[in-house]
Amino acid sequence: MSFDLNLIAESLPLMLMGIGITFKLLIVSGFLGLILAICLLLMRISGRWFLNFPAQVYIYVFRGTPILVQIFIIYYGLPQFEAVRDSIFWPILREPTGCAILALTLNTGAYVSEILRGGVLGVSKGVLEAGSALGMSARQNFIYLTAPIATRLALPAYSNDVISLLKSTALASTITIADMTGIARTIVADTYAPYEIFISLAIVYMIFTFGIQKLFGVIERYLGRYMEREG
Amino acid sequence: MKLTMLRNLAIGLSAALTLGTAGTASAETLRVGMECTYAPFNYKTADGELAGYDVDVANGVAAIIGVELEFVCQEWDGMIPALLANKFDLIIASMSITEKRKEKIDFSGPYRFSTGQMLGPKSKEMDLFDDAGNPIPDNFNGLRVGLERATTYASWFEDVLPGADVVLYDGSEPLYLDLQNGRVDLIMTNPMKAHLKFLSKEDGAGFEFKGPVVDEEKYFGIGVGIGMRQGEDELKGRLNSALKELINSGELEGYAMKIFPFKLHKDEWGQ
Repeated sequence: MSFDLNLIAESLPLMLMGIGITFKLLIVSGFLGLILAICLLLMRISGRWFLNFPAQVYIYVFRGTPILVQIFIIYYGLPQFEAVRDSIFWPILREPTGCAILALTLNTGAYVSEILRGGVLGVSKGVLEAGSALGMSARQNFIYLTAPIATRLALPAYSNDVISLLKSTALASTITIADMTGIARTIVADTYAPYEIFISLAIVYMIFTFGIQKLFGVIERYLGRYMEREG
Repeated sequence: MKLTMLRNLAIGLSAALTLGTAGTASAETLRVGMECTYAPFNYKTADGELAGYDVDVANGVAAIIGVELEFVCQEWDGMIPALLANKFDLIIASMSITEKRKEKIDFSGPYRFSTGQMLGPKSKEMDLFDDAGNPIPDNFNGLRVGLERATTYASWFEDVLPGADVVLYDGSEPLYLDLQNGRVDLIMTNPMKAHLKFLSKEDGAGFEFKGPVVDEEKYFGIGVGIGMRQGEDELKGRLNSALKELINSGELEGYAMKIFPFKLHKDEWGQ
């Protein structure tokens, strides 16, 4: 097999034109997903069954089905209903990007809420008891003690989820979006050279993953600065 | 110790290799790649059986040249790479013979016309073609057009109507869905197929062909042929004479008449 380096040089800039869309998908759905996750987390730890139960069902459904299936249901399934096409959400759902962001948000929200819950459960009781002993209310305990400690505890697992979200954005190419993967697939279909194109695409994703890892490493070190031992 | 192990391994490997080649030579089997979802040309019936014009052609040719066939279902945009990677030996999948594809693979003579036509909603008046049947590029500006990735339609649009906002799909079913859903204004596909699978059905009631059939040879080629790897001239010769036999005996016309009230080839291809 000959490996055509020229082809890579020609097609890399084309693929990189999709970076904007890939990052738009990652950042918008990552941000919205985090907000959703916090809502779900609060519902889960509220101690009220009518909040806890729906959140549990939601998480079960979205973690229990493949994200590709969710994307297809949202993109191809929803518009089958007249009501959806007449609704105010249609301008968003009409666009493939809107559908992809919705699917990724709903999916990552479910995963991240469980990651955050793990962080909350990991906060030692002693800290909270100390807070109560100082006269802090349950709410103050949560805001000043649980939240910061849980964030630090959840961070390594959360960075994992951001990385897998980056890779999930590639699925958007199945619903006509020209992200990096979508562009690569079109180039492959035109040049019939899957190895060169997909291998260079894989390397581009790896570079971005490396960047995300480093970024979270910096945040982790910052949040854990009080934990470092002296000497 | 290590050496003997290596030698044993080498002996085992060469034995396996000779067995492998002996197996394929004794009963000649050709593997045929197709989409299996491109009705009425190649698709699976409700019983899971493959059927359609391409399948009939494949079986007709196989009977004449005396080989067994094994069908492999493959998505369209990976069809040529899969042939080149030896996942199968022939493409009989309504693939048009184009110069661009000929750079990578070889084709038999044509066995079906290759054309395209646009479809859009009846309710929308679209002034897309002039009286001579040529597209008016300005009127395509900003129109959202759904096409299948890596098809002759896509390269035609790219060159002839660059102002259109082209959206690329992975299959033909999603094209019809998104046309119905209003995500695209127009689609372009094979008119025979569109008539059978969409316009004649309840879902297609609100839609119609927009403009004439397009068959510019530079993009659409002389027709649809059987694809194979380059350098297999002996096989190509056998396939070509088998196709001619199918045309001259009227059998090919019979395959078309099963689906359409007209034939899909030119008799001169049998000369």
